[in-house]
Amino acid sequence: MPEESTLTEALPRKLAEQRFARLYSEHGREILGYALRRCPEPEDAADVVAETFLTAWRRLADVPLGGEARLWLFGTARLVIANQRRGERRRGRLTEQLRAELRRQLPAEVPAGTSGILEALSGLEESDRELLMLVGWEELTPAQAAQVLGITALAARSRLHRARRRLRARLAEAEGSGCGENELEAKEARR
Amino acid sequence: MKTDDLERQLKAANPYPSQALTALKIAPAEAELGEAIVGGPASAGGGEAAGRTRRSRRPRRIGLAVAGGLAAIVAAVVLVLSGGGGEDGSGRAYAAELIRFAEASPLLLLEGPGWRVQNANEQRSREGVEGTMEFVTGKPVPYESIRVTGHLGSERVAGLLPASVRQRRVELWWRHGSLAEAIGFQRQAPHPHGQRWLKLPLLDTSATVDTRAEFYANLGRPGDRRMIAFWSEDGYVLQLTAWVPDLAAFEERLGWLTKVDTQAWLDAMPAKVVKAADHDAAVRGMLKGIPVPSTFKPSKIPDEGLTATRYQVGASVTATVSCLWFLQWAEARRSGDRPAELEAERAMATSRRWPILREMSKDGAYPLTIWQLAEEMPSGVWVHTGHRHPLLPRAERLGCARLGLPLLPRKQKLQRERGPPLPPR
Repeated sequence: MPEESTLTEALPRKLAEQRFARLYSEHGREILGYALRRCPEPEDAADVVAETFLTAWRRLADVPLGGEARLWLFGTARLVIANQRRGERRRGRLTEQLRAELRRQLPAEVPAGTSGILEALSGLEESDRELLMLVGWEELTPAQAAQVLGITALAARSRLHRARRRLRARLAEAEGSGCGENELEAKEARR
Repeated sequence: MKTDDLERQLKAANPYPSQALTALKIAPAEAELGEAIVGGPASAGGGEAAGRTRRSRRPRRIGLAVAGGLAAIVAAVVLVLSGGGGEDGSGRAYAAELIRFAEASPLLLLEGPGWRVQNANEQRSREGVEGTMEFVTGKPVPYESIRVTGHLGSERVAGLLPASVRQRRVELWWRHGSLAEAIGFQRQAPHPHGQRWLKLPLLDTSATVDTRAEFYANLGRPGDRRMIAFWSEDGYVLQLTAWVPDLAAFEERLGWLTKVDTQAWLDAMPAKVVKAADHDAAVRGMLKGIPVPSTFKPSKIPDEGLTATRYQVGASVTATVSCLWFLQWAEARRSGDRPAELEAERAMATSRRWPILREMSKDGAYPLTIWQLAEEMPSGVWVHTGHRHPLLPRAERLGCARLGLPLLPRKQKLQRERGPPLPPR
């Protein structure tokens, strides 16, 4: 989306701030969404957004230009969440206001009729689940998801195929159909 | 189950679809977080090169189009050194304070035929000291207000001065930091015409030169190139930027760069500055034509005891008065004191006629910021890209908290608990 802005002149610091502003305005909500979908509490997502963009600011030179910046941010957010799960400190003071707003505006609700697939998803290995969520929820192509995960596009496609099969099997198992193809898939899921 | 069905189910189970995220009303919180990241003490990186500041003086707003230096202007310890334009010649006696700051700066001048210093600025930032000088030849070169369009990496710019004017200016910028980082950062910047780097001799060292530093896709044709030389000296990273017809012209400018003594450096400073001893008189002059609230005292205007451009002093004066009016306005709105609210709105509505703001508007966008804030007072909201934001946080960015006049209740509470901000180093 073309964007207009009024600037003085192109100078290193100003460029950095301009570039960061664009990253933040273009991808801030996407990273928030990514974090919300993976954090147990909406407020935790605020910390993930803060840590991800703090990393981006500190390593702005490493953030690729163009559309790949988004993938870099997803990849960083993924690592931030992993660290958060390992008990890393939070950016509580930085995110006080955002946490409060998320707490107020986002009551924890599961979309109606989706508990089955969410349960099936949660039963998968993290790598399978992450790949499925990147493609299904972040709407990335397998090749883009591969970049986020640091694997080849070929490997991503192959893993995605297997992850879908396992998800299908878990759903089938939950539904108790237990016959034909689904039975085979259920066996696959138990492997 | 087919893959498409599975994908549909999975998408439907997304607990936070993009439309739900878009509907969140969290823009102010997001803006605050963005600012904290860029401006907070943890932000050592990103623009590891701190910015030269001729117009907006290190704005730290994220995703906001309003120009103006705001808090950063007021906070900056601007140490513009003056000798009265050199008209009195050498032998002028300078105050010890000026000499101390001159000696702490790289004493460099561009001694090309007909070239002179148009502006000079030095300030302390979180990263240390940074400074800029502008050298020009011929008529003064005005500041540019440019418009950038397009995507990052292929942005286009409109509103630049003609090449013949741009090429009459050379900018020297210095800061404490790492040369490798500065060069590394420049290498990451968009180079729409590719990159070509050279090593060129400079003074008693050599400079790394980016000869295709145009940045914008619609610039950089033969006869009009932007080049930047990077080198280091005495703990400073220095950067000389110029639009030139060709490499030979850039080498010529590098050759004009000369180390001078303190006296010569101070002699070369431009006249448009306010000397420390003249600060109070200058403030009195600038206050003419500005309605002030009953809470105003001249002592509320920060005086660092240093020399600064009229622009900087003017920013301090108008920010102080404006913050006091906004303070009255905010308190009146909270308490329902309609006459006091109207008085503040009417006073700020006259800001378009404040002589010092009109003078400053030729050199930068700070006046525009005050004028825009004043215009929005009756509605109490600030509309940006179609979204309505409360006006007070925006007005706070005039630097009110740094002036000891916080507008937002949480900042007022902080200052009550911790005392007013410390004066700049």
